[in-house]
Amino acid sequence: MSKIKSWDIFCRVIDNYGDIGVCWRLARQLANEYPFHIRLWVDDLTALRHIWPETKVTNQQTLEGIDVCLWYEQFPEDIQPANVVIEAFACHLPEVYLKAMKKKPPQWFNLEYLSAEDWVEGCHGLVSMDTQTGLKKTYFFPGFTVKTGGLLREQTLLSARNAFLADAPTKAAFLSRLGISLTGESNLLVSLFSYENTAIGSLLDSWIQSSEPIMVLVPASKLLPDINRHLQTQLNINDEYSCGALRIRIIPFLTQTQYDQLLWACDINFVRGEDSFVRAQWAAKPFIWHIYPQDDGIHLEKLGAFLNHYLSGLSLEEQTAIANLWHNWNQGKNCGEAWNECLKNRQNWDKHTKEWCYQLNSLGDLASNMVQFCQKTL
Amino acid sequence: MKTGQELRAGHVINIDGSPWLIQKVEISRSGRNTAVVKTKLKNLLNGYLTETPYKADDKFEDIVLDRKEVTYSYYADPMYVFVDNEYNQYELTVDELGDMGPYIEDGMEDVCEAVFFDGKVISITPPNSITREVVYTEPSVRGDTSGKVMKPARLTNGHELQVSAFVEIGDKIIIDTRTGEYKSRAKD
Repeated sequence: MSKIKSWDIFCRVIDNYGDIGVCWRLARQLANEYPFHIRLWVDDLTALRHIWPETKVTNQQTLEGIDVCLWYEQFPEDIQPANVVIEAFACHLPEVYLKAMKKKPPQWFNLEYLSAEDWVEGCHGLVSMDTQTGLKKTYFFPGFTVKTGGLLREQTLLSARNAFLADAPTKAAFLSRLGISLTGESNLLVSLFSYENTAIGSLLDSWIQSSEPIMVLVPASKLLPDINRHLQTQLNINDEYSCGALRIRIIPFLTQTQYDQLLWACDINFVRGEDSFVRAQWAAKPFIWHIYPQDDGIHLEKLGAFLNHYLSGLSLEEQTAIANLWHNWNQGKNCGEAWNECLKNRQNWDKHTKEWCYQLNSLGDLASNMVQFCQKTL
Repeated sequence: MKTGQELRAGHVINIDGSPWLIQKVEISRSGRNTAVVKTKLKNLLNGYLTETPYKADDKFEDIVLDRKEVTYSYYADPMYVFVDNEYNQYELTVDELGDMGPYIEDGMEDVCEAVFFDGKVISITPPNSITREVVYTEPSVRGDTSGKVMKPARLTNGHELQVSAFVEIGDKIIIDTRTGEYKSRAKD
């Protein structure tokens, strides 16, 4: 490990908070769990500030022991590259930095997007020769199998989760801070985080008519206009709405730590993209994934590839119910019936998701797998 | 210039000053409408093979290699000498002959293709089919004309390959040089 002293992580924010969410999480884990110097280059600090409010919009600062640097076009000429360099999600390193890397080639990773498709195993760990510099870059794929890099998970995450769940007063205090009190009520607690989605109307209607009270917590997101449109309301942060069995509360966008607690506290979680999708799996509660939409519907193939892994072991009836709900949610179709079908087997879905979490845990975690890779190559 | 998603088998690209032949391309859609391009590459200078991924928007300098028709002239230990139609001579070692090696023999008239990079010949490729004489093989068993049973045979230059059981010493055979396999007996 002695040759690995420093890491540079490069992050370009494209849209939403997934890019910065993953990179910030990775940087924090490396800084907290290893004796490395971590430097995070980000081109959009307002995105980082959204998920980590202590962030200032300044060229350089230290947050959580990490050097956070603004990545701007005029990259410093005198830069000294780290021992390990991560270019996240197909961003391209600055020319100046590449030139500096040639003098002392680091372990260079391209950290790719998460996918459950089979081709990922065939590309994970492959080395690419950079055409301009001749430098070698390793493609590192997060994933769900032993032939991939695993998923981001802090060493203490699962114990923190278990401690939270075992401590009823702490859980109640957390929900209370969000304006929620569940005393005496047997609400089904649902968190709802997604992209824009016209299917929300069918879910809201289904929840209103539910025989079981449902409390839905919605972090402020792109879904809010669709909710307001369907309910004919103007809900905003800290507003609440009730109709029939449904109680819906709009909560502030949470920090990463708070969002984990929300996922742990709820019974069912709707998540989106990559970061919250992974966190939902570590929360080990039933979840519904809104995958990032892509051209030509290719994202539905990726959704199906994940479901093939995740649903394995459930009965055909349960697999069909969950797959229907996920596909309808991702195609803007009516979700009411599919939701009700899934609820019939909620206990077993819950148990299955805990087993899935256990299985994922056996892969190690992405950061540790990267460190181990470096130990072999550096 | 080509981008990663424009790469196809048969293209030759420049990677850090060396020409690499793309033997195979697999494009997989990744996240956010990007793609990973997995390539099988062969270094045309040293024959090194590798599997390498690229991004769809990575840029590549494509190389158009010079090619010429040449014929084998003679052996001047340790070099094999080929000539083009302007009588320019090109010398290659046995390692540089590569796929051509098993088919070299004195007096051969096959028209081959020489590939050049930076003015230097880097490979010689035989035509897809060549005809050679069998100088030794075990006698054929009477009645076995199916062509499915094979036996070893040796050519004039000592190269050995499997041929149909009915092939006899002195027969001329057609060889597919892309696979190195016997195709058929040559008609007289």
